[in-house]
Amino acid sequence: MSVDLQKEFGDYSKNLNRASKDTNIETAITRAVKAYRATVADAMERYPHTPDLAAEVRRIKADSIANNDALLRQAMESVERNKGKAFYARDKQQALEIVAEIIGKEKIVVKGKSMLGEELHLREYLEEKGNEVWESDLGEFILQLKNDRPMHILSPAIHVPREQVAEIFSKFFGREVPPDIAQEVAVVRDFLRDKYFNAHVGISSANVVAADTGAMVIIENEGNIRLSTAAPPVHIVVVGIEKIVPTFQESMKVAEVTWRYAQYGVPSYVSIISGPSKTGDIEKVTTYGAHGPKEFYVVFVDNGRTAMAQDELFSQALHCLRCGGCMYECPVFQVTAGNFGHTYLGGIGSIWTVFVSGGLEKAAPLLYTCLRCGRCVERCPMQIDVPAMVAELRNRIINGEEQETGLDSQAS
Amino acid sequence: MAVEMKLPPVLDIIRGNIVKHGNPLALKGAEVASWAKKLNLPAQGEILFYTGGEYQLVPFIDSLVKTMTHMDQGGKGFSLMMGVRNILDKAGINAEKIYASVLAKDKERFNNVCYKAAVVLQQLGYDLCYGGEQELYSGALLYELGYWQDLREYGQKVVQSIKQSGAKTIVCLSPHAAEVFKLVYPKLVNGFQIEVRTFVEMVWEKRDKLPAVKFDDSVVIHDSCRLARELGIDQELRDIMESVGVPVLEPMRSRKWTTCCGGPGKLLFPEISHKIADRRVGELEETGAGVILTSCPYCLAALQGGSREGSGTGVEDLIEFLYRGFAV
Ligand code: SF4
Repeated sequence: MSVDLQKEFGDYSKNLNRASKDTNIETAITRAVKAYRATVADAMERYPHTPDLAAEVRRIKADSIANNDALLRQAMESVERNKGKAFYARDKQQALEIVAEIIGKEKIVVKGKSMLGEELHLREYLEEKGNEVWESDLGEFILQLKNDRPMHILSPAIHVPREQVAEIFSKFFGREVPPDIAQEVAVVRDFLRDKYFNAHVGISSANVVAADTGAMVIIENEGNIRLSTAAPPVHIVVVGIEKIVPTFQESMKVAEVTWRYAQYGVPSYVSIISGPSKTGDIEKVTTYGAHGPKEFYVVFVDNGRTAMAQDELFSQALHCLRCGGCMYECPVFQVTAGNFGHTYLGGIGSIWTVFVSGGLEKAAPLLYTCLRCGRCVERCPMQIDVPAMVAELRNRIINGEEQETGLDSQAS
Repeated sequence: MAVEMKLPPVLDIIRGNIVKHGNPLALKGAEVASWAKKLNLPAQGEILFYTGGEYQLVPFIDSLVKTMTHMDQGGKGFSLMMGVRNILDKAGINAEKIYASVLAKDKERFNNVCYKAAVVLQQLGYDLCYGGEQELYSGALLYELGYWQDLREYGQKVVQSIKQSGAKTIVCLSPHAAEVFKLVYPKLVNGFQIEVRTFVEMVWEKRDKLPAVKFDDSVVIHDSCRLARELGIDQELRDIMESVGVPVLEPMRSRKWTTCCGGPGKLLFPEISHKIADRRVGELEETGAGVILTSCPYCLAALQGGSREGSGTGVEDLIEFLYRGFAV
């Protein structure tokens, strides 16, 4: 069988070229890179223990991935013990079905930002099933209205300047919204507030999961996670199996390193959610659904991650904390934003695309876009060797997938 | 089941050229070695001077890329696995014409880099030998583009040709050659047992012998990714400049944090590559230095291409700059 990728390469590169001439992208990314570098440099100075902590987290992640099966089992048990319900979804379809089954039809759903959500096309699926789904992260909300896809994993609407946001909002809200960031934030706040309290279901992901306690650790600044995981009567966590670490203590370390490199400095909120809301205040009888959700579900999604974990070279890609640091330092990303990527972006994104989001063919143009310049490795708190993985994947493209052309196999 | 993927033809053209002609652009051996005529370097010796044909091919890349993009858009089907000369002929574009369109002054400049490098090393007291027309390209692009099986075979030829020199040390002008010899060959190609050095390291060791360079301005160093990150060579360049008495300015991003020149993207994404080069030149020019210095053929070409007309900031290879001190 043979697949002709020449057209894909052609279309893709036209799109890259277009992006590189887009002044919105240029302005936004230039600002963002500058801000990122400044914030992170500042945070490193203020919290000088960070590099050492990152080294520790590298060990934690490596051990956790090596031990993923057992940790998954333990995490699921913990969730159940906490009176939540835990599911394992082998692939995308299964994950979608589980979530849709829990939700049902004609429900209002508020959703937090999640790359996994993008990977699964979760919002679109739930909408097709007849639900009203709102992205609660401001950036994602803008993109939802704009019918666009995220251009950065942390700042999804990085490519949309305030003037364009004003246009989009004016159209959607049916009244003039000025290109003033504070006012733009305020209209969304008003609009979503209503949704949070009328929603039947809140969906979030998690940055880290502690297997021992079943704690979901979620980092954010906006407060949308707080609201969407607390106000609706049902909370569903949809999380990749690679996020699990053995203990609560370790999950805190992973969280700190994540937010430090993700330009949070100090995040306004870290939510730790381990089960449904409960009270024992009346006669010490435990009753669920006090102020928060009565029902708590966790869907652990595999969708190719186990295969990745079992590959000696590629398991490191699962250490990714999704801090986004590599993207700011990527010379290609700096001129094209998320157009260098599909769901997962940049060099690390090309690796993820191969395993969880489209396969080698889909990833081929991305893999050949990477300059293999290696600056992402310098930035990456997990020191993920993207250039080495890109090289090996190009080799697989040329010489076939099943051939194990590990570098050491033949030479003496 | 093996799924064969049809990729943009430029990849296979490069591959074919390397495997068949020992050079990514199928330049002829005589062309690649022409710079050495005046020097009469022996074919055997202790230290093998290695150009890999890389500086020499650099001026041809742009015209190839132009032709390729032109042909892609024209949708001309042409068969793969042929030398670039054949392909260009077949598609109705005369190879000699394409290559003839490369300006003589560019060809001369890049050929001269090799000459100057050899002179600098000789003046520092190194006895060099050189493979001449027999010299083969390292195959770095085979590794880079995924043709590892081809590299296994092709690498054997390279090893043989290097062995003929009897040298104990190979000195690479291009960091890409040094990288592939040092980091990839040991794992992929049998029998490669020669010490790999870069031009920069060789000069650095004898930097106290360098003549001062008369230059009234300062320079800014563009660290090549391969040199700085893969080979860990960055301070050496600064030390060398100190020895020749020229002040160095640092750009916003340098050493291990250096910004890629965009060169690696040139074959497949020429516009993006150009844009990246352009931005990098901007970062470098911001320092106000008189000359941008680098030590890599692709960086040299990319930055040269990205530098703005009339900006006044020159782009030079370290080799060219050091040669200023010898050419009085
Ligand atoms: S690859 Fe590294 S730098 Fe990039 S998002 Fe993941 S953890 Fe952050």
